[in-house]
Amino acid sequence: MKTRKTFGRIIVEIVMVLASLLFLYPLFLAINNSFKSFGEVMRDVIALPKQIMFENYSYVWKFIDYPRLFTNNLVITVLGLAGIVFVSSIAAYKLARTKSRMSILIYMLCIMPMLIPFQSIMLSVVQLANQLNLSESTVGLGLLYWGFGAPLAVFIYHGFVKGIPKEIDESATIDGASGFRLYFAVIFPLLKSVTTTIIIIDVMWIWNDFLLPLLLVNGSPSTKTLTLAAYTFVGQYTSDWQYAMTAMVMAVLPSIVAFMFLQKYIVKGVVAGAVKG
Amino acid sequence: MFKFLGRKGNDKLEFGLFTIPVILCIAVAFYIPFFMTIRYSLMEWNGISSSPKFIGLENYKQIFMGDANFAQASWFTVKYAVLYIILVNVIAILLALLLNMKLKSTTWLRAAFFIPYILSLVIVGFIWKFIFMQGFESLGKSTGWGIFELSWLGDPNLAFISILLVSIWQSVGFYLVIYIAGLQSVPDDLKEAAVVDGAGPIRRFFNITLPLLAPSITISVFMALTNSIKVFDVILSLTAGGPGGTTYSVAYDIYRDTFQNNLFGYGTAKSIVLFVVVLIITVIQLTLFKRREVEA
Repeated sequence: MKTRKTFGRIIVEIVMVLASLLFLYPLFLAINNSFKSFGEVMRDVIALPKQIMFENYSYVWKFIDYPRLFTNNLVITVLGLAGIVFVSSIAAYKLARTKSRMSILIYMLCIMPMLIPFQSIMLSVVQLANQLNLSESTVGLGLLYWGFGAPLAVFIYHGFVKGIPKEIDESATIDGASGFRLYFAVIFPLLKSVTTTIIIIDVMWIWNDFLLPLLLVNGSPSTKTLTLAAYTFVGQYTSDWQYAMTAMVMAVLPSIVAFMFLQKYIVKGVVAGAVKG
Repeated sequence: MFKFLGRKGNDKLEFGLFTIPVILCIAVAFYIPFFMTIRYSLMEWNGISSSPKFIGLENYKQIFMGDANFAQASWFTVKYAVLYIILVNVIAILLALLLNMKLKSTTWLRAAFFIPYILSLVIVGFIWKFIFMQGFESLGKSTGWGIFELSWLGDPNLAFISILLVSIWQSVGFYLVIYIAGLQSVPDDLKEAAVVDGAGPIRRFFNITLPLLAPSITISVFMALTNSIKVFDVILSLTAGGPGGTTYSVAYDIYRDTFQNNLFGYGTAKSIVLFVVVLIITVIQLTLFKRREVEA
């Protein structure tokens, strides 16, 4: 009985590992063909490259100005995140601590936009961004994310703050701290675990976001994001698959590297975000 | 802070300082655009002419009376959403059960199935387009299997399946980790007690594991529904609506009318319809969810 059970388990183990390799095979093919010449891609997609073409990478790197794109993504993501965390956490804290009709009303106003699909308002967002001079600028896009990310962040922070005993605020008030001083010295450090959750789900969203950048920063090469540049690049090189795949690999590489190092936190954050959200 | 305001005044000032920034941000991102959208939806406007014409509910009338594109896109989205929700959840639950057997490779397996979820959907669409167009040709040659010689992006029915498949491939890892977390909260002694009572694995699954997974299922179905109803990115890069305009979703149809055909008024009217549908579905779901919580 015992040996039959372990035998079964080994079979399941082998089948699952094979299934996972098959599951990742498309990604392998993308990487594989990014190292080939055009002729080799056309002849056989499965075969390994006969000669590794690093030239593909240097060509695409220069053509799409990779360092510039990477910096753009970084600016948008970091600015967006910093704002979402700051603006949402202070508001959620105050709203959770204040018992009044006004407070409930503002809280509802903050979380209701979660029901509005982005596609429903996208045209008006573009029009408004133009009027506010926020379009065609990485900083402008980063600022807009503050509002788009706030509803979920306020919701998650609000739920968490309710679990922090009020006595903590009170004892800090007696010690003479108040307002922002009290918040940043005493409360914000206690929010570390939810802040991590929010950072993880928002980084994955903003870094990979497509439609909002397409509508707002697609005008000039100097403001494009990685995904956006890869999208336009493939549009221009529809038949040059080796370059297209190189661009794809270069666009997803930062995410994959980050995932390798932070796997545990990312999975935990995603689960926590889903369960609370 | 300010002595002259008194305690009450100071509290109010602080309340304002803490909450006004978020109100401003959300107003700019959602509320102002939302009201602009409602106004646009009542107009005939190509985005270029400086004077949009007010036409009342004409746009809405046209959407429901005579828009074959919208009807087709709606049918596509409903079909896609139903199949996506069922398939992604069933596959994720099955995978989660296997991964929960405490295999030696669990960490690797979980990571492997999760990786596509961290990638941008547009890029995932392009990688798969390459696989369908070039990769399948080579795979067909080396295996001789007919399945690889079908036109996966060129035939309307197969293109639909392709979009479904790629969406599931990209996101199944997300649902998988939610179900794994759910399974880990099923107490072991409950399962052991059932084994002692002589319940087989299938009865154990349906009578113990599945009911205890209910919260995870609710979350996952909810997420799958909200995501699938807005499907856009993956279609854009995989089929661009083709072949013959058969794979437009509602969100893509709105994008086409607004930004490609420059029907600003008409496109926004459609987007309001999408909003109302999402609102109704969410309200229904939340009430069902609430009722179940009371029962439990």
